[in-house]
Amino acid sequence: MLEIQHLNKTFSTAAGNRVLDDFDLTMRPGEFVSLIGPSGCGKTTALRIVAGLLEQSSGTVVVDGKPSNGPSRDKAIVFQHFNLLPWRTAIDNVAYGLELHGIPKAQRMETAREYLDLVGLTASASKYPAELSGGMRQRIGIARALAIHPKLLLMDEPFGALDALTREHLQGQLARICVERNLTTLFVTHSIDEAIYLSDRVVVMGVQPGRIIAEFKVTMPKPRGEYNFRAEPEYASVREEIWRLLEQQIMRAERVA
Amino acid sequence: MGAATTASTVDGTVGGRTIAERVLTRRNGLKIASLLVVFSMWELWGRANPFFASYPTAIAEAASRILFPEVLPAFLTTLWALTVGMVLAIPIGMAFGFGLARFRLLEVALLPYMNAIYATPRIALIPILVLWLGIAFELRVTIVILGAVFPIIINTYSGAKHMDSEMIDTGRAFMASERQLLKTIIIPATAPFVFAGIRIGLGRGVSGVIVAEMTAALTGIGRILISHAKYLQIAEVFVGIMLLGLFSLVLMGGLVRAQRRLTPWDDAERAR
Repeated sequence: MLEIQHLNKTFSTAAGNRVLDDFDLTMRPGEFVSLIGPSGCGKTTALRIVAGLLEQSSGTVVVDGKPSNGPSRDKAIVFQHFNLLPWRTAIDNVAYGLELHGIPKAQRMETAREYLDLVGLTASASKYPAELSGGMRQRIGIARALAIHPKLLLMDEPFGALDALTREHLQGQLARICVERNLTTLFVTHSIDEAIYLSDRVVVMGVQPGRIIAEFKVTMPKPRGEYNFRAEPEYASVREEIWRLLEQQIMRAERVA
Repeated sequence: MGAATTASTVDGTVGGRTIAERVLTRRNGLKIASLLVVFSMWELWGRANPFFASYPTAIAEAASRILFPEVLPAFLTTLWALTVGMVLAIPIGMAFGFGLARFRLLEVALLPYMNAIYATPRIALIPILVLWLGIAFELRVTIVILGAVFPIIINTYSGAKHMDSEMIDTGRAFMASERQLLKTIIIPATAPFVFAGIRIGLGRGVSGVIVAEMTAALTGIGRILISHAKYLQIAEVFVGIMLLGLFSLVLMGGLVRAQRRLTPWDDAERAR
């Protein structure tokens, strides 16, 4: 579904600053993969390159067998700060991608209503984003991304700007939707707990240069919100190992800085 | 109707409060009270200085004589020049504003002129414009455009220029074409700035047309002000001034209402 090979990104501003070094990742359909790492490890850079919002210095991205350069209808992104259009009501935000793709109004409104329903916001269809809470806004962000039926869902710390309780609630909702719809999801986070909760695989990234340093498979059955997955021995051991690696990277970042 | 009748009682109270209390506690009540106080003081002060000043009752008397035969036709002349000028200035200003923000070449080449002209008093241009255009309709329309177009350009430009790049990324991520980007992201994001520009531009347009009428064109409300002031007919001058004040009030109210209608999200955004 997604094949990333030898991805490199250098920002020319800071002389030869390599943000992403030889990043490789292959995802199969229906897989949920998290990228986790300290600030500056290039996880968001990698995601933005896949989304087509940023150009790589070298390397290739292939989505569903086709080379991916720039945004495409196969991919949809959910942003950390929601990025809803303030001048559109909830339902018009959900319909945004479909509108750009030229779907007739009646049809796109029907689809939008369906996805608004999926995230439980049917009652807020005609509200403006400013009238909604952060959690509701991100649910609209998720509905907007799903409404275009992407083959690949990209999420850039989607719950990072939310309070802890809302975050937990939305994680559960997302876990359920991903399983029900068999979505292929690339997810950026810096919460170990969140990564284990949602992922089939957790990819750990290091700093200077930004690169992959380890990968963990999580085999507990999904969706994990339906039982106490944190009580499983697998949770404790994976969490412990990821934390050790990340701690090293954080200290490394502090030494170099 | 029926509800109002049953709610008021014989001793002149509504809902337990006297009518005077109700009027005063409301915003409108406060406005009326303020008007009464200001106009009474004006009346007293004006009567004490009858030669150079005027006062509300004298103005009302003058209005009854000259409002319909003289002032309103003059006002329509002024209004026509202002309308034509604004109708031209708004699209021109928006086009330049978006153009400057979108194309680096235009921005570098033209923005310094925009800022220079924006800060220059247009009144300084009247003598040259008279040479070029004469003193007819074209002069007054040009003055309105020159006054209004630059605030609209500068505001549209800064709104479009300093747009949240995340918004643009959002459009791009969902495959917006350049045209769709303009229509669904850039224009709505800039709309509140355009409105601010129009509000400033309208004020400058009104003052521009009046000055042109007073100094060169000798027509419209500007002529009313000048010709009556010459003969110390202060009350008559005030009929023109107060009509202009009233007009501005209506104009700004209309603009706020139009803005609410066209950018309904902006209210919610501000209330946050």
